[in-house]
Amino acid sequence: MGNKLLTFTEQQLENYQDCTFFTRKEILRRLRVHKKFREIRPDLVPKRMRQNEQVTIRVPLEDVVEKLPELRENPFKQRICEVFSRDGKGNLSFEDILDLLSVFSEQAPRDIKVYYAFKIYDFDNDRHIGTEDLDSALVLLMRQELSPEDRQQIIEKVIEEADVDGDGKLSFMEFEHVITRAPDFLSTFHIRI
Amino acid sequence: MSGGGNKKKPTKAQGWEEAGSEFYQESYPTDGEFDALQRDVNPKHLATLLPSKQTRAAATIRPRTNDNRTIRRQTSSRSRRDSTVHRRASTAADVQVSMLPDLSENLSNEQTTWEEIMQIKAMPVPMSQKKEMKAKILNEPNLRLQGYEQLNWKRRKIWRHFASRLKEFNTKLELWKNSLKRIEGHFGTGVVAYFIFLKYLLFLNLFIFLIIFLFIILPTLLVNLNDDSEQNVTETDNVVLDLIQGTGFMERSILFYGFYSNQTFNYTINETVMYYNFPLAYVCIAVLYFGVSLMSIVKSAANGFKDRVIEGEGQFYQYCNLIFGGWDFCIHNERSAGIKHKAIFNEIRACLEIERLVEMKQNRTKNEKTRLIIIRIIVNIIVLGTLAGCGCAIYYALMFSKEKQKTALENNEADFLLFIYGFIPSITIVCSNVLVPFLLKYLVTFEKYNPTFVIRITLMRTVLLRLASIFTLYASLVEITEDDNITCWETFVGQQIYKLVLTDFATHILLTFFINFPRALVARHVKNSFVRMVGEQSFDLPKHVLDVVYLQTLCWLGCFYAPLLSVMSFVIFFLLFYIKKFACLVNSQPSSTIYRASRSNSMFMIVLLISFVAAVIPMAYSFSEVRPSPSCGPFRHLHSVWYEVESTFYSTPNWVQDIISFLTTAGFAVPVFLILFLLLYYFKAVNSANRQMVIVLKNQLVLEGHDKQFLLERLSKFMKQQQEHQKRLRQIDVLQDGDTNISSN
Repeated sequence: MGNKLLTFTEQQLENYQDCTFFTRKEILRRLRVHKKFREIRPDLVPKRMRQNEQVTIRVPLEDVVEKLPELRENPFKQRICEVFSRDGKGNLSFEDILDLLSVFSEQAPRDIKVYYAFKIYDFDNDRHIGTEDLDSALVLLMRQELSPEDRQQIIEKVIEEADVDGDGKLSFMEFEHVITRAPDFLSTFHIRI
Repeated sequence: MSGGGNKKKPTKAQGWEEAGSEFYQESYPTDGEFDALQRDVNPKHLATLLPSKQTRAAATIRPRTNDNRTIRRQTSSRSRRDSTVHRRASTAADVQVSMLPDLSENLSNEQTTWEEIMQIKAMPVPMSQKKEMKAKILNEPNLRLQGYEQLNWKRRKIWRHFASRLKEFNTKLELWKNSLKRIEGHFGTGVVAYFIFLKYLLFLNLFIFLIIFLFIILPTLLVNLNDDSEQNVTETDNVVLDLIQGTGFMERSILFYGFYSNQTFNYTINETVMYYNFPLAYVCIAVLYFGVSLMSIVKSAANGFKDRVIEGEGQFYQYCNLIFGGWDFCIHNERSAGIKHKAIFNEIRACLEIERLVEMKQNRTKNEKTRLIIIRIIVNIIVLGTLAGCGCAIYYALMFSKEKQKTALENNEADFLLFIYGFIPSITIVCSNVLVPFLLKYLVTFEKYNPTFVIRITLMRTVLLRLASIFTLYASLVEITEDDNITCWETFVGQQIYKLVLTDFATHILLTFFINFPRALVARHVKNSFVRMVGEQSFDLPKHVLDVVYLQTLCWLGCFYAPLLSVMSFVIFFLLFYIKKFACLVNSQPSSTIYRASRSNSMFMIVLLISFVAAVIPMAYSFSEVRPSPSCGPFRHLHSVWYEVESTFYSTPNWVQDIISFLTTAGFAVPVFLILFLLLYYFKAVNSANRQMVIVLKNQLVLEGHDKQFLLERLSKFMKQQQEHQKRLRQIDVLQDGDTNISSN
């Protein structure tokens, strides 16, 4: 019980329990979110966050993608950080990380995962997944082992499969339609802590 | 169809909108925006003004208006920009964002407040906004519930509290959580699914053991009856050999069927005499554990079935699934990540390759096709022949072992020789299980199927091989017992299965620690590429699944003849987890074929189900047709095991007998079959109609898309025309002004 009083106030924990898919015990004990956050930049993150630090203190993008073990090997790590950060540049505060982990947890329902997946794959933030977005995704996924012609062929196939209204790119509804028929999405789009 | 929400709005009283997309608001461009457009008319730019393209996440719960406090969507007009749309909650499975349209109550109470707070979680907005929403909800005054509703509410609150505590407690108890996480980090979710399957079987075995223990073993231990059964007299002098072979003191112990009595125990409680019909209990427990296993398998399979149906019906979006669902976000190990990249790369290349193969297949000439068909038929014949050969080998091994054991007994040879002869059948079976798959893998390359089908057909053939070996063993055992005069054939069968289980388990240990481990060590430290190729292994999932399922099948078959086999298999599965974990983490490299969790799960369950059916059939046959030994076990003096159930049935009251006999008459069965058949036909018809509908709707969507493009282009052309017109008018004005200026000057 000691930890609880030191790092967060009761009210904050109550809020976190209501706003994420974790229980307060999970946040503190099992997942040790605050500890992980602190390990990224011990100099920036204080031990106690009883006031407003969880919103104000931000850890820069470069450190997050290097030090957070769950994200380190992920090809989309930069994009994930950009999506979840408030300033859009990838600098995460404690609440952003909590949000991130909550969306990627097992208890999160499919809808919210689909929403965030769409945002992650939409590299240029134009609310569509176009050919450039798919190309960037493929490059990150394959680590440039595919030739551009192969990439082009695959992109064409993807658009052919998923695009319904014929505009050459995927809107959210088309993406959602395809993803609900992808049986692996729910099991791969989750980070186990 | 397009902008369909528009048409519905005026008809709904509360202004509810059933837009298809959950989190996206619709908003309508204001006149101001239209003006801005006048300056730059571009169809693409116009398109961004369409309602379906305006995506603004559902940011706030509507602040309640002054007159009523229900949360509902405000009637939208073209001037309101920030209206929110929420989809009605439809399925219970996913948490949907829905605000309950509170028609009757104008005030919120604790319950609705709580429910609204619970729904904040599922909103895709940043945390700070969620906190604001929560604060806003909490700040609204809300009523306390009265009377019955309050009781209800309190009850629900307490139940929820209890449920969350229970869940927390369960996660603390969760077995092997850290191991699973390690494996997942290295190998991905497909392999973890295998270990979860192993855990599931472990608990199934635990359950079987518990019921056997409670109802069969415990009564037998408590009631220390003097047993007048005759047992087989095979004994060796060595305790260890006895232990392993199940002879001697083991044979007369509680492990085997022969120990159990056939009497009905009676005991008195408070001067009423209660009966415990032991034989009936024995057979009922057997039926019970088969039934429970079947239900549990079907339930697990049904969970994965939904996904498979979606996958199989309509379209499977192969490339999309690969790209969007391909990367396993759980991986956090650098080496595994590298291998995963390679695996995805291989899979995509395989997909492209399949496309080329399909093209090639279409271009196959008739000659090639007939040649391929002939080759396939030949390969199938060879495979069947191999399976038959294995069956024969097992049969002869059993016969040979029996003969040798008989002569060895007569000649009083060394116990050790007897021991070897006793294990010959088990060793034959295990050898065939290990060696034949290599042959199958070699043969399948001639058939030129596409890669997924290759995996499936190899798996099916291997399953067939293992089941065939079990069947043959069982059949030969039945034959032996009819020929020879073994006094207690059930114990003999129990012994054979016991030996087989031990041999199988010992083989696993041997292979994992003494053969594969050195191979892996050598491959890791020696730089020679040939040695690498021989030494490196991948975690071949189908093979390991079959190992586990085979053990489980043996357990199902054997528990009737050797009740303690259930606790043995529980312990074996527990140890097997660690053995397989070692094989996975230490011996194997992450394989370059991706195993998908969803497909893996359905594969496990199908294989388990087939094995279950293969285990039930011999048991059912032996229950009803084979005569139990007359001198030992709970069913002596009866002419079939099922006879016990029948006689109990006939001693139930008459009305029960009448009902059950009615259920089996034609008068009942035929209408039931007819109704089932009609239902099946109806659902099939609905299914195909839906499929047609999907195609029609899809085409319609495409057409609507074209319509939209067309209209946008016309609109932009029109606006351009307007612009030109306005420009010309302005020019004329300017000229006129200029003229008047000049004229006035």
